[in-house]
Amino acid sequence: MTDGLTEMKRTYLLIVLAALCASFGAVPRATDVTGDVKVIANLNIGASEISTEDLKAVFLAVKTSIAGSQVEPVLAKSGRAHDVFLKEYLGKSDATLITYFRGLVFTGKASMPKVCDSDADIVAYVAKTKGAVGYIGAGVVAQGTKTLAIK
Amino acid sequence: MTRETVGIDNRRASGARLSAAIRIMALGTVLCAAPTALYAQEFKIADKAVQVHGFGSQGFVVTEGNNWLTMDTTHGSGAMTDFGLNASSQLTKKFRLGMQVYARNLGALGEFQPSVDWAFGDYRFASWLGVRAGKVKTTLGLYTDTQDLDFLHAFALMPQSVYPLDLRDANISHLGGDVYGTAPLGRAGSISYTAYVGHRDDSVHSAYPYFLLARGTHDSTYLGYQWGGDVRWNAPIQGLVVGVSGLGERLHGEGIRLGLPNREKSRRPDTTAQYFSQYAVGNLKVDAEYKHFNRDHLIRNFNSEDVADVRAWYVSGSYRVMKRLELGTYYSHYTITSTFLGLVDTTLPSGHDYDKVVSGSIDINRYVNVKLEGHFMNGYGFGPYPNGFYPQVNPTGFAPTTKGLVVKTGFNF
Repeated sequence: MTDGLTEMKRTYLLIVLAALCASFGAVPRATDVTGDVKVIANLNIGASEISTEDLKAVFLAVKTSIAGSQVEPVLAKSGRAHDVFLKEYLGKSDATLITYFRGLVFTGKASMPKVCDSDADIVAYVAKTKGAVGYIGAGVVAQGTKTLAIK
Repeated sequence: MTRETVGIDNRRASGARLSAAIRIMALGTVLCAAPTALYAQEFKIADKAVQVHGFGSQGFVVTEGNNWLTMDTTHGSGAMTDFGLNASSQLTKKFRLGMQVYARNLGALGEFQPSVDWAFGDYRFASWLGVRAGKVKTTLGLYTDTQDLDFLHAFALMPQSVYPLDLRDANISHLGGDVYGTAPLGRAGSISYTAYVGHRDDSVHSAYPYFLLARGTHDSTYLGYQWGGDVRWNAPIQGLVVGVSGLGERLHGEGIRLGLPNREKSRRPDTTAQYFSQYAVGNLKVDAEYKHFNRDHLIRNFNSEDVADVRAWYVSGSYRVMKRLELGTYYSHYTITSTFLGLVDTTLPSGHDYDKVVSGSIDINRYVNVKLEGHFMNGYGFGPYPNGFYPQVNPTGFAPTTKGLVVKTGFNF
């Protein structure tokens, strides 16, 4: 029993140390990069703004409506806007987001969201699809969509 | 044992190793050569999109000490295969329907008998209230519902104290209904809950009936009612989840023992309490879980009573050091006591199983991975309920320690 407790303490200590080392490298940010990305939505969505909590809930398939409108998240395949959005608003990397959705898909709890190859594809899809919400680079023109302010 | 039989055994063993190695290489080659064939399929029926996804894995295990997980692992075994295929559709804005079929072979378990893994309708009234009905994956701790989906985890085998691979089908799903939801708590994050009632019906190819064979009992049925709940707090600290799950079961089994009918049943409900926390941010994930399983059964035609008590916990950490490489480690702790067997001293090898694990996972591409994992086990925890070590494959008795190497490759789309 004593051996088990010692083992537990040693293992726990090692993992906490590893977590702290990794966190020190990963968490501090010198600059705010949230201005590099904007959230766009189909024109049928009533809302003109979205909270960071709701944004996270929509893109993690926890919430399926905002301001009374059904929503469908649209993901990018890669790119700077994708990396910034995942890190700043979802707290995940590309790999962990895919893993998260696979967990939902293979337990029947959600479908795999639409994934677009480029900002232009996201704009086109969001413009034509009722309830679609996506993210693109802040400087990208997004005709036929509305930009949701993040509060 | 004569020299000839030893020679035959050795030839059989090397044949089995070769066969498993060929199976793994063939699977890996096919998967690497044809990644485009692994894209998820989506088609429409009556204007409704239907998504089809699937997965499969093939493992090879070699151990020193004891044979493990019903396989002849001391000679190297590749009898570790599973696969599943699902289809689902969002039929209306609030209603979705889906089903997954699954089959596996793990040593003497599974026997590739296909089963419905889950099949249910899900109506979500709002994010804070939804219902599911049918055969539903059970929410219990961090990973009960995804324990067999190894492409979701850094490890080839989840911590066996809490997520035993041989007992996969014991608590992975229930035939019944769930109520679930997530409610915001403002600055305090959010809270998710699940409550369920249902029924469990173990296959004759599952671990408990196989385990009982060693004691001369051929169980033909082992089933009963289940109920439970799960509450988890998604803390305002990014990536931190803390929660608790509970499960109650009232079970009974019937079969034949020494040529006569034999029955067992819960004297009072089996209970599982599971406490868990997870911190996952960026490429780092740290998990800790504690599980207490208590089982009070009237056995041998209700003439004897056995109270078994299992305490299990683990601490794990994994980090994706490169885009395609994830490293992980865990310590898994398992103890068991039994009144019927007089097993009270958990310091004995038969009363515990402590497992230290190091693991590496390489993503060959988006759909295929290979894992390599080392296990260093102290004890074999042999009580009245299975724990990975079986007398049928260890007929000369158990060794106090076991070292194991697991190689596993899998795909998903």
